[in-house]
Amino acid sequence: MIKNFKFWTGFFIIFGLIVSSIIFSVFFDSQVRQVQVLYDENMTPIEAAPFEPSFMFPLGTDPLGYDTAGKVLQGAKFTLISVIVIGVLRVIFSFVVAIPLAFYMPEKIRKSLDQLLSSFYFIPLTILAIFILSPILKEQIKIPEMEEYFIYSFAERIGLEIIILTLLVVPLLGSMIGNMMASTLKEDFIEGANVLGASRWRVFKKHVMPHLLPKLIIVWCQQCVQVLIIFTHLGYFKLFFGGTDIDFNPFWGDPPKSLSNEWSGLVGNYYTYIQGNPAIALGPIIMFGIEIYAFQLMAEGFQKHLETRNVKGFKEEKTSEKQEVAVKASGKFQFLQNRGA
Amino acid sequence: MKIAKKLLMQLLLTFLSIILISGLPELIMNKNVSAYFEKVKTVFIEMLRFNEMTYLNQGIKRPFLEDIWEPYFYSLTILFGALFIAFCFAQVLTWGTLMLPNFLRRIIKNILTFLESLPDLLVFALVQMGIVLIYKKTGVLVSNVASLGAEDRIYIVPITCLMLLPFVYFYKMMILMTEEEMGKQYVETSLAKGMKRLYVLVFHVTRNTSEGIFHFSKSVLWFMISNLLLVEIIFNIHGITHYMYHDFRPEMLAACLILLVIPFFLIFALFEWTIMRYSKRSEAL
Repeated sequence: MIKNFKFWTGFFIIFGLIVSSIIFSVFFDSQVRQVQVLYDENMTPIEAAPFEPSFMFPLGTDPLGYDTAGKVLQGAKFTLISVIVIGVLRVIFSFVVAIPLAFYMPEKIRKSLDQLLSSFYFIPLTILAIFILSPILKEQIKIPEMEEYFIYSFAERIGLEIIILTLLVVPLLGSMIGNMMASTLKEDFIEGANVLGASRWRVFKKHVMPHLLPKLIIVWCQQCVQVLIIFTHLGYFKLFFGGTDIDFNPFWGDPPKSLSNEWSGLVGNYYTYIQGNPAIALGPIIMFGIEIYAFQLMAEGFQKHLETRNVKGFKEEKTSEKQEVAVKASGKFQFLQNRGA
Repeated sequence: MKIAKKLLMQLLLTFLSIILISGLPELIMNKNVSAYFEKVKTVFIEMLRFNEMTYLNQGIKRPFLEDIWEPYFYSLTILFGALFIAFCFAQVLTWGTLMLPNFLRRIIKNILTFLESLPDLLVFALVQMGIVLIYKKTGVLVSNVASLGAEDRIYIVPITCLMLLPFVYFYKMMILMTEEEMGKQYVETSLAKGMKRLYVLVFHVTRNTSEGIFHFSKSVLWFMISNLLLVEIIFNIHGITHYMYHDFRPEMLAACLILLVIPFFLIFALFEWTIMRYSKRSEAL
């Protein structure tokens, strides 16, 4: 069992939000509350939308009076589940790529392949993602008929977005995991297993996997953070998860709309209010920040857990502290380093 | 010589992957593989005739190479300035931090974890709002929050925006690496010999962590180029990504990315070569 405060804090932030979002949609049908004008007890209007953040509206409301917190809650499940799915897929794909890289390639070829793959360090992910995803996610228009359409269906759009965001990092991540595996293979106990006649499969299953799996969880957390950041970027460029609904009406076009209130849509829609009503614009971005922090906490907590899991309790440390106290109390000698130069 | 060959290979492969990727939207739009290869071919030919490339500027075709240099160097200044400042600040502060007692270091690390998780968009928004707020309160305009047109150059704001997060990343990474290095035997020996802690830190430990930091800086740069696009769009800066984003053709993307890649590639190659030479020499000793 993982005994780490940081890990569980992060875990509960993420999964608490997903669960509450699902509950919100199942029991309350995701009804986002809309308040356009607030009245006092004499029915005189005192305030109109957009409202600043307050007890009544934790994240404020948008100009139409929709509660931002409700929207965030409604969209959380889409964003977070897709982030987790993309993170898992990234790690699994790269892992599959890494196996032949570490097991069947001689050291020299692997090194040079590594060099070649590092050319991907110079191709920035956001730019590529924007470039490749815009034909998929943006609504198109047929000019003569004025008919709005998407090239792909809703499910295909989501599938393609997940696949593309996964595949773009596989070269880098694959070579990274391959290196991790190769360095495990160089350990002494692997040599021991080889001497005792273990097959490659057995080495992989019994020795490499237990070593690598915990590290992969940390890699997964980092990948989730990266996906969240890309979602904010895509949101800013009006590429929303699952498609952007663009109004092609030339006279009074509505701003681009997200189809499901997922968070990158909220970021994209509200960013224009940054000067007039900062609270509206910042709300969804801050939610992204909280989620990123939660994933970081999980990674850090898990790392700590890995370092301390083989240490039985902390009794030893405590006794040494006691000893030190006792030594200090006796005052017979003092450490040289404390005496001052 | 061998290294030069390898680097050339790497550079060519980078170009090739950029060109291959730039054809992808065609594949997605038409769901047709042969159209994709057709597009890749045109991009490739276009790249070979680099000096004849044209782009659309407000509906008028203009030669690409004539117009690109100024915005290109402007973008590079911002990018390199930010990277350099972030690195230097982080290095100096790391030395300072390592002199502090352990519990303070732990607090600093926790704060850094928090800062690390700020989304970059939030940082840009806060900088933008901060400048306006200062202006409203005191009437002092720290810097323009947006540039107007191609002639107007702003430096302070975009560089600040770009450097903040890389600075945090560098700082945290340096602290972690240096702390790990401080536990090694040679540090203990030199401290026992009576060398000053700061001296050991600056002259011995930093040299040994520099290789790890160098590899780490690649991923920081990767992140920064993405951010450059965002910063240039948010602050309406007329840099290289302006051409990339507003003329949304595969040829344009490929050309701009290749231009962006070349200087960084050369610099990293130079560093790698130095490190390789350096580590080889120490092995011989």
